[in-house]
Amino acid sequence: MGQRQELIKGSSDSLLLCLIGQQPMYGYQIIKELERRSQGYFKFKEGTLYPALHRLEKAGLMVGKWHTLTNGRPRRYYHITAKGSSRLVTEKVQWQDFLKAMNLIFQPASR
Amino acid sequence: MTTELSHYLEVIRDNLRIDLSEEKEVISELETHIEDRLQELKEAGLSEEKATETCLGLLGSAKLIARQIYEAHSQGNWRQALLASMPHLLFATLFALNWWHHIGWLSLVLVLVISTAIYGWWHGKPTWVFPWLGYSLIPVAAVGLLLPHLREGWLLLTIPLYFPLALWWLFCIVVQTTRRDWLFCCLMLLPIPIIAGWFLTVAPDGRITEYSMQRLYYFAPWIGLSFLILALTIAAFIRLRQRWLRIALLIISGLLTLTMVAYYAGGRLSLTTFGGLILVMWGLFLIPPLLERWIRRSGRFKCSASYRPPVQMAN
Repeated sequence: MGQRQELIKGSSDSLLLCLIGQQPMYGYQIIKELERRSQGYFKFKEGTLYPALHRLEKAGLMVGKWHTLTNGRPRRYYHITAKGSSRLVTEKVQWQDFLKAMNLIFQPASR
Repeated sequence: MTTELSHYLEVIRDNLRIDLSEEKEVISELETHIEDRLQELKEAGLSEEKATETCLGLLGSAKLIARQIYEAHSQGNWRQALLASMPHLLFATLFALNWWHHIGWLSLVLVLVISTAIYGWWHGKPTWVFPWLGYSLIPVAAVGLLLPHLREGWLLLTIPLYFPLALWWLFCIVVQTTRRDWLFCCLMLLPIPIIAGWFLTVAPDGRITEYSMQRLYYFAPWIGLSFLILALTIAAFIRLRQRWLRIALLIISGLLTLTMVAYYAGGRLSLTTFGGLILVMWGLFLIPPLLERWIRRSGRFKCSASYRPPVQMAN
């Protein structure tokens, strides 16, 4: 469990950028979406999501904007920036290379 | 909203210590998150009490969240670092080039310092404004130093007026700065013991004479160097994220610069005076956090411009 948390921690920026890159989302929606798409594997400690989002925003990779939902409630949606999109492309390539290399080690027969 | 959740958000707010506008956004964002989570938990059949307990458990430690958000927001860019260290650099230049005795240059620097401090104060008190604010207290101190040169009659008239006004002014600035973050108060007041150390070196009896001006001319390069160290300290402070590193930096730099003053003073600063200045330096690091605690506990000094209403949640 601890190892899984470390893996999530190490990949949280990539996960958030990837998710926001597909469509703008707000904090709670991000948590639900990550959990749903990973079939419960990626479970963020909810409070730690916001420091990560704010860190990425400060780095200019995403920007938060308040929108009002149809029920009249305001939510802070995160949108990816051009810098964030560029970073996402780089990170995707790095992850693909990493996964390919891991597969070559774990499944030698598939070579 | 339950008392526990209100308290939770209050703890986060008390420990955030970021710009007021950013603080409001963070708290509102967390409020909306809690709103969504509570609604989902209640729809799943949990009681108000159980939903609150679960919600708090899922969010995690309030202080940890506040600290991590502080670290995300605290680091300034290089432009801000340069802007924050600029007043120290200006004074370093004045002394290194021995321009301090040109009334024109001195006035220009003081006007620049005061106008920048006023501008920053009325534009959200960004981090870079606090070093400027510290130097804007120089004219007040300078008036106090000139008082002994007045005729006796005038002296009796001005002293009862000057001290209460000067102390009131200092108290107001210190309280307002501490309300923003006590660490900024330390940042603002850091040069005081160092300037006091140099002043006592050039004018041990507290009076500015022709002889003390000659001494000032002699010590000017070392005074310039101490301002340069302060400038580098402030630049590093702005670039650091972690709060404990910022505190350590200010303490170490303050004490080392003060030691440097004593070293270059070459015996003109007595051991007792040096000890007194060290105590003043420690006071600068101990009083602001205590003042902050007192302000928060007593709920005093909440002026309309920076009053923070208690967190309210829609059901």
